[in-house]
Amino acid sequence: MQLPETTHQHQSALADYCRTGKYSAIPGVREQHVTQYRRLVYNVVDDMLQSAYPLTHHLLTTREWNALVQEFFSNHPCQSPQVWYMPKELFEYLSPKEHKLKNKYPFLLELLWLEWLEVELFMMEDRPAAYTTIGDISTDELVLNPEHHLQQFQYPVHLKTAKQLTPADKGGYFLVLFRKPDSGEVNFINLSPALVAMLEILQEGPQTMDALIRQCCAAWQLQLSPEIQAAAHAFITQSLDNRLIIGFKSKH
Amino acid sequence: MVGIGFRKDFATTLLQSPSFNPAFIEVAPENWIGVGGYWKKLFNQALEKYPLYTHGLSLSVGSPDELDLNFLQKVKTFLRDTNAQIYSEHLSYSKCDNAHLYDLLPIPFTAEAVRHVSRRIRQVQDFLERKIAIEIVSYYTPVAPELTEIAFINAILEEAGCNLLLDVNNVYVNGFNHQYDAKAFIDQLPMDKVAYIHMAGHEKVSDDLIIDTHGEAIIDPVYDLFAYTIQRLDRDVPVLLERDFNIPELDELQQEINRLQQIKNVHLKNPRYATA
Repeated sequence: MQLPETTHQHQSALADYCRTGKYSAIPGVREQHVTQYRRLVYNVVDDMLQSAYPLTHHLLTTREWNALVQEFFSNHPCQSPQVWYMPKELFEYLSPKEHKLKNKYPFLLELLWLEWLEVELFMMEDRPAAYTTIGDISTDELVLNPEHHLQQFQYPVHLKTAKQLTPADKGGYFLVLFRKPDSGEVNFINLSPALVAMLEILQEGPQTMDALIRQCCAAWQLQLSPEIQAAAHAFITQSLDNRLIIGFKSKH
Repeated sequence: MVGIGFRKDFATTLLQSPSFNPAFIEVAPENWIGVGGYWKKLFNQALEKYPLYTHGLSLSVGSPDELDLNFLQKVKTFLRDTNAQIYSEHLSYSKCDNAHLYDLLPIPFTAEAVRHVSRRIRQVQDFLERKIAIEIVSYYTPVAPELTEIAFINAILEEAGCNLLLDVNNVYVNGFNHQYDAKAFIDQLPMDKVAYIHMAGHEKVSDDLIIDTHGEAIIDPVYDLFAYTIQRLDRDVPVLLERDFNIPELDELQQEINRLQQIKNVHLKNPRYATA
């Protein structure tokens, strides 16, 4: 059921003005007051983007930030009815595009994605897991916190402030972000490739520490050594402590 | 019965305060659908303590676009899961030509729009299997008006068969901005359709413009208009205090809640609970 043309045209004209800031006369509109709508709409979008991307906002100059928000909101039809989810669309808007900001800041997309992952992990729906916190690290099967995300970056956007990043930092970086079950706080841990493999095995299902270490060594064609065992034990102990590993598989 | 908008800014304090006692809380479903973790825990605690009223932001009943039925299904599920007492939305549009705008734009007061919006509200009510209450929004300029505001609103209430969320502050703001008598406006509304009342503060930004900010305390003339509305209603309906920005100490919000309740008590000699 479409609205007849005339009313639709007036509504489109007001909406276009709010998105672009370019006003074309609309019958009956008080021009000195219609500016409030542009201000209010723009401020909501700008505030939400600043709130989701504080590091990017800090990195860009004021002129760059304002131009980016203006460009995004003018050109991109925001699809999410939930305003808190809208900032993801800035990342999606920039991802496939050639953009001068991406040339100036080659790590920009990764920084945006890191910031969005923090928002999404903090806000996302609960992912239930069956586990108990009482168990024996040496013998019981370990359960990975399901509220996590494994990520690979070319730039260490999680380790250095954005303004310190240089082309020389380009490489391979791994991290896991996870939501703590009690506080809901989102933490991240920088990972070696071997630890990523360990977490990927745990993603498939609970494993005992010994089985986990054996599978990792096999995957990486490493000889199991006391050093590897000690390092894995230390990581698993720390992960149980910070709840990246949420607990143990219940025996009942 | 006077409630408060449940804001993340003071959610923790609200749940812990022994002296802050709203009768219910109100949320925008959009801000809580699909949310887990810390906020979900807090929200669940709030639901254990307070009845929930809901006030949508993004359904955009006044939009020229098609209704977002996928989103509406999520709203329906949310209303069911939270046992929401009321679902209300705005008589405005916030999405146009497939783009969300995240604020409330005024619908042109036209006969075309009356037919279109009424059809959509009926569609929403059929989908949700409940009546909704529709709010008169504050506006800062008319857009291509063919009808008066009151004629536009009353025609929609009649054709859509929905309830009215009467935001008394919005009527005050609109009366000031568009130079009409707010009491005379209220006199022309169908009081039997009022299911819910909103009260809030605003900001006067120039000699001829007030912005509905929800960021200040309610001013005396709006309390007076509220008293007038309650007398005209002559029945008890739930009232919400909205405070979205510039949040004061909860004691100050409690004082505003007390004053609203006191006005109701004074003007409703034999309070009857009867929603429209």
